Amino acid sequence: MTSHADYVLRIVEERRVRFVRLWFVDVLGILKSIAIPASELEAALEDGVSLDGSSLEGGVRGHERDVVAHPDPTTFQLLPWRTDAVVGRMFCDLRLPDGTPFAADSRQALRRMLGVAADLGYTFQVGAEIEFFLFAVPEGDGPPVPLDDGAYYDLTPLDVGSSFRRRTIEHVEGMSIPVKASHHEVAPSQHEIDLHHTDALSMADAVTTFRLTVKEVAGELGVYATFMPKPLEDVPGSGMHLHLSLFRGDENLFAGDPLSELGQAFLAGVLAHAGELCAVTNQWVNSYKRLVSGDEAPEHVTWARHGRAALARVPVARRPEAARVELRQPDPSCNPYLTFALVLAAGLRGIERGYNLPPEGEGPPLPESLREATDRFDASELARETLGDRMCDWIVANKRREWGDYRRAVTEFERRRLLRLL
Amino acid sequence: MSEAWIYAPASPAASETARLLAELGFTPHRVEANGALRPRPDARQPALAVLAGDDWADVCARLRDDELLCAVPCLVTIDQEGLETGEVLDGHELIVRPFTAAELRARIARARATTHGIEPGDVVRTGDLELNLATYQVTIDGVPIDFTHMEYELLKFLMTHPGRVFSREALLSAVWGYDYYGGARTVDVHVRRVRAKLGQEHAARIRTVRSVGYRFDA
Repeated sequence: MTSHADYVLRIVEERRVRFVRLWFVDVLGILKSIAIPASELEAALEDGVSLDGSSLEGGVRGHERDVVAHPDPTTFQLLPWRTDAVVGRMFCDLRLPDGTPFAADSRQALRRMLGVAADLGYTFQVGAEIEFFLFAVPEGDGPPVPLDDGAYYDLTPLDVGSSFRRRTIEHVEGMSIPVKASHHEVAPSQHEIDLHHTDALSMADAVTTFRLTVKEVAGELGVYATFMPKPLEDVPGSGMHLHLSLFRGDENLFAGDPLSELGQAFLAGVLAHAGELCAVTNQWVNSYKRLVSGDEAPEHVTWARHGRAALARVPVARRPEAARVELRQPDPSCNPYLTFALVLAAGLRGIERGYNLPPEGEGPPLPESLREATDRFDASELARETLGDRMCDWIVANKRREWGDYRRAVTEFERRRLLRLL
Repeated sequence: MSEAWIYAPASPAASETARLLAELGFTPHRVEANGALRPRPDARQPALAVLAGDDWADVCARLRDDELLCAVPCLVTIDQEGLETGEVLDGHELIVRPFTAAELRARIARARATTHGIEPGDVVRTGDLELNLATYQVTIDGVPIDFTHMEYELLKFLMTHPGRVFSREALLSAVWGYDYYGGARTVDVHVRRVRAKLGQEHAARIRTVRSVGYRFDA
């Protein structure tokens, strides 16, 4: 077998690739990209590419101005939506010049947590159902304009949505992300695409790639896509339901009726820590408007076998290897790397300390606002142990700033209620 | 570095063969063929098996029955006496001791061609699906399909071993080796990715054989 780097260099030559984009995310999970010409690729694979660390969100200290992006050649893939020039991409790990991990690198934070799980003999598998909205590009600063009034599973003729979904699936699968299903969601202009489960690191890369791909395809069709948790007031928001399972080799350790003891302890851990992890799984002011709306979004930390209001669902698995827990709390605008790392940490703690699963349908409320979520995250010993103080402090500072800005904002709600009345 | 496994008792002839193989760029390992077929329990397949002992016919048969080693090109080395008295089977590439590195190189190329029906630089073809072993390019009806490295290696292995069922463990060790990450599920995940990229018609060529593994139908 050829080495990964040799394969990349050979493909770049054979396919006449002009540029390679080096991808990484900031602490909020926002995708960043630097493009290097193909001629620089060999050096980049060998030594990495230097970045100005102070331009990265993530609380860089003075002596960390130099950050080096090391491309992961196993993630090399040509972008399917570019036709004018052939462009490839690779995900990167961020390190300091001395080779130590950069404290604000989400990908390595997840890798570290997966290493902890691997030492215990576990591999963590994640599947994702991702919801989002498509809107017509508004004139000026107008409100978002839905493209249709399509209801759940509707097949509307002349539906931009279905040609959109077809093209998206083609591109997404071209990026090594197999799609399990897709359909129109409850709300107008809302879509859902379900990604087949895979190991957590690949899935975090997949979610990141998926969000960009969806936006690219929307752009091609002259509309735009948003993963904002709650873009319209009167219709359900967008969630990202995660299907979680732990394997040892080929064996699904959650298999049971409906869940093994180990699976129950994992779920108990996820539930016990759900509130303190919200600042990552639901990281925006807007996220809490989805969680309060009822419908399919959870408001309480509960689990259930059936029904769609619980925070976690234990579906009946048709085969033992399909046993899983469905987590319905995160939204699609989260940082998937940190979300997966923290959810795994919470589950493993449940196993390690033998947490008991509470009765079905009973549990405390989730944080009501980003402020409450940030306070609880700040005090979370689990989060600090998993992500490190540096990253946690940075997240807390960023979220307090967002809350501060929000407090100063005068909203449409206030004007509607008060402007004429008072 | 490609490994070559030499099945022979320790002898000057075996050492000489190892030296010549090293000269040709192989990493030689000697295997005492008195039980184990592998130099280490966790070893994957070598690029070449050289049978240098008297029991070569027996070793050949055992290699054919081993799920992972059945597709390894075999080269039988034999001396003049063995050639005159022994049983020479059809279908085995033979080289008569003593031999030179150049002769060995030529015989190895022939052994590979006999086993795979392909040589480096060749194109493996199934319908309009083509995989070029020299350039790593895969095309369907001339249109390139872009794979990640491990997707390519998996497809290459399946296409160069058509019609045979491989368990997921076998694929894992043949394609990923033992430094893989993610367990045997990795194979399913990659099969799914490769199928998604191949499109319906060709995806169906990678057959799931229930509770056994996968088979490529050319």
